[in-house]
Amino acid sequence: MAEAYFPVAPGLGLEENFLSLDDILMSQEKLPGRAESALPRLAFALVQGAGTGDAIPEGSKLEIPLWLAKGLHDSKRRIISVELPKIYKEAWRTVFSADANVVDLHKMGPYYYGFGSQLLNFDNPENLDIAQTILQTFISRFRRIMDSSQNAYNEDTSALVARLDELERALFQAGQKGLNDFQCWEKGQASQITASSLVQNYGKRKFTDVDG
Amino acid sequence: VLQGDLGPFNPGLPVEVPVWLAINLKQRQKCRLIPPEWMDVEKLEEIRDQERKEDTFTPMPSPYYMELTKLLLNYASDNIPKADEIRTLVKDTWDTRIAKLRLSADSFVRQQEAHAKLDNLTLMEINTTGTFLTQALDHMYKLRTNLQPGESAHSQDF
Repeated sequence: MAEAYFPVAPGLGLEENFLSLDDILMSQEKLPGRAESALPRLAFALVQGAGTGDAIPEGSKLEIPLWLAKGLHDSKRRIISVELPKIYKEAWRTVFSADANVVDLHKMGPYYYGFGSQLLNFDNPENLDIAQTILQTFISRFRRIMDSSQNAYNEDTSALVARLDELERALFQAGQKGLNDFQCWEKGQASQITASSLVQNYGKRKFTDVDG
Repeated sequence: VLQGDLGPFNPGLPVEVPVWLAINLKQRQKCRLIPPEWMDVEKLEEIRDQERKEDTFTPMPSPYYMELTKLLLNYASDNIPKADEIRTLVKDTWDTRIAKLRLSADSFVRQQEAHAKLDNLTLMEINTTGTFLTQALDHMYKLRTNLQPGESAHSQDF
């Protein structure tokens, strides 16, 4: 039952956790933006099919990964400006508040909560509404995650997690673990000694011939 | 390591011993187990009905009712009258309590309460939902902190 590896959790707030793999992957998600001034020789990085040495003209629309957007963004906005991705804008926020359970949060960018929290780093008058919507979405979807994770024993859960974002999937795992541990106890397996997962792979590697 | 004295053991006379010893003696066929007085069909039916009726949690006759039921029914079911019914009754009561716990958790989350008090839960029940609930509440806390104004936006320094 013991874990060999404890992943670092995402920061889920205004700050990312530096060592969290989820946060690293999350910050690669892109947001729409605009170049506020010409960016010499950087077209290769942000524009498809551009040659090295091409400049990005002022005013071009770009899709910028979050980590870069955070780095280039400052309050004077000389370099780039960013916009909210669709799902955090008002139209989608209304959908979420009507019924958050129907939304496929995995498709909407699998780090809805993390990325949404990071957007709050940019000055935007809608920030409070965004933060509210994210919180309310989590609250509305909580029940279903709890029930499905604690009732699905030994089944294929792929249909249940398909529409959950990464944060919710981790929660689902926690719920499943509670259920599995209980079932394991019920079946009497808890008092049986089993090999630790850490050592189970030890005998399986073969030595290959060493060169030279 | 525990130490102590037990007994005296006289044939035919009931004596109280710790559960672990009782199970051991039973497995060696040296004794017959007497079930606790709450492990009886009528009593358990009362408890189950009360559990279904009330919104709060019924005080259970033992904080280890699940564990004891499992041990005794596994090792000494021949000493327990109507063992199958007992098993079903305890399971039904457990299911009702877990359902209540989840309902309670959901309403706690929806109303964003800061503090909840649930009496009469046993450890077994708490452990089954505990990890999930504490993680979820952790996430909620962080998402709520996002609502606080006044933190100036951090930008990355090179």
